[in-house]
Amino acid sequence: MATEQQEHLKIEQLQHETPDTQEVAAGRERENLEGWIPALATDAETREALEKAFDYRGDVTLTLRSGEALEGYIFDRKQGRSLTDSLVRIIPSKGEQRTRRSIPYSEIAALNFSGRDTAAGRTFEAWVKKYWEKKAAGEKNIQIEPEKLD
Amino acid sequence: MAVPVAQAWTVATYVLKQKLKGRKRYPLVLMLEPLFRCNLACAGCGKIQYPAHILKAELTPEECFRAVEECGTPMVSIPGGEPLLHPRMPEIVQGLVDRKKYVYMCTNALLLKEKLHLFKPSKYLSFSVHVDGEREHHDFGVCREGGYDIAMEGVRAAVAAGFRVTTNTTLFDGADPHSVRRHFDQLMDAGVDSMMVSPGYTYDKAPDQKHFLGRARSRRLFRALLSNRKKRWQFNASPMFLEFLMGKRELTCTPWGMPTFSIFGWQKPCYLLQDGYADTFQELMDEVEWSNYGTESGNPRCANCMVHSGYEASGVNYTFGSLKGFVATAKAFFNWQYKDDDAAKLLNDWQPTSHGPLVQIGTPVISKASAIENHDTTAVVGS
Repeated sequence: MATEQQEHLKIEQLQHETPDTQEVAAGRERENLEGWIPALATDAETREALEKAFDYRGDVTLTLRSGEALEGYIFDRKQGRSLTDSLVRIIPSKGEQRTRRSIPYSEIAALNFSGRDTAAGRTFEAWVKKYWEKKAAGEKNIQIEPEKLD
Repeated sequence: MAVPVAQAWTVATYVLKQKLKGRKRYPLVLMLEPLFRCNLACAGCGKIQYPAHILKAELTPEECFRAVEECGTPMVSIPGGEPLLHPRMPEIVQGLVDRKKYVYMCTNALLLKEKLHLFKPSKYLSFSVHVDGEREHHDFGVCREGGYDIAMEGVRAAVAAGFRVTTNTTLFDGADPHSVRRHFDQLMDAGVDSMMVSPGYTYDKAPDQKHFLGRARSRRLFRALLSNRKKRWQFNASPMFLEFLMGKRELTCTPWGMPTFSIFGWQKPCYLLQDGYADTFQELMDEVEWSNYGTESGNPRCANCMVHSGYEASGVNYTFGSLKGFVATAKAFFNWQYKDDDAAKLLNDWQPTSHGPLVQIGTPVISKASAIENHDTTAVVGS
């Protein structure tokens, strides 16, 4: 789920056009969150930052009030009325595959967008540009290779 | 016949049962995502951008079967990721076939030819091969030169081995209806049973954020594309959905029509959006505030969506929802050609939108006007 700020292009487009009159639908501006350590001083900051963490396609590191540091992928969040009854669900990057933990917002002291943003840095324009460079150099079987997992 | 009679009958009786039970919301196709790993990195896809430990994760066959039992749909589509990368995919497919589910195993077909022997032909199993257009279009879309030839080789091998083969074509801004119509001919020549076609969704994680079709352009494109049809073209789609794409019919989104189950659980609210996950199918149906989704909801992320995962079920529901819908569908079967002189003119006058070299791989140089300033040096383009 994106925040309004992240979806501002679509929202602005809809202020000028109805969905039925759109020729090309607005996409989304890339937001560079990798390495970001947001302030979690207020409830609003905490909610906003964790919403972005939920949307982020990389691992994050949560520092809990207990002092534990937990690195993993946030795949879900549930928004309650207070920070105590709001929680993120995270799949830790280490340990047994696909274990899950639920962490109430109120237990999170710090958040670090520590992992690489896997949805950043591979723009289509870059592919087109590199394709033509390689084509001009006489290369064959040009492709974007999927991530190496090991 | 685009959809075999037995399958059409199964789906029809299932839908009518739901109607008789008074179920307001019922699923039609389970979108079962057993993994997110893929051997392609397509421009328009926002499904595979995850950290390595997530990409390595897989659903077990038992988890797949549990999900199928839970939601009870007569049809199961297996997207991904690339399902053929799952080491137990033959077991998963066989288990679904044994349960008499109509299975569409979606694949980019890079591995289809070599893995074909692991599957058994069945009326319940169809390989749904993703081919996004003629050779140049497909190769640019999947960001891999030669991808089309491998995919079509897979299609022909599967057809020759006696499998049902359908195709899935996703269109983006810049698609040329002349080329897509030729593509339909080529697919039917290759012996596919039927074809699916849909506009691409604005995945916010997709590498390409500039070529998502808006609804107005989608309707013009599909009107040019699907009017004055050739008799040999068989579409694996509800006639009402195709009319919706052509701008001939209004439908509202049915986000629960194709629920999605993956390693994260049941995806809220639909196949395309990720607003969290439920642990059970019932929880998904009960917890999602459905009125927050669909174009009419005002949700900006739903504004341009015309994708089959939201509207195919709407088309089927319309058919069985009233006598009017049933009659409209019957008419569509007799009026399969959709003769339309204005659409013919639209097609003849169609000027493909140029995105520089994107739509013409054969172009030897990028014109200065279309060259894009790019400071991104991290794209991994290898051979």
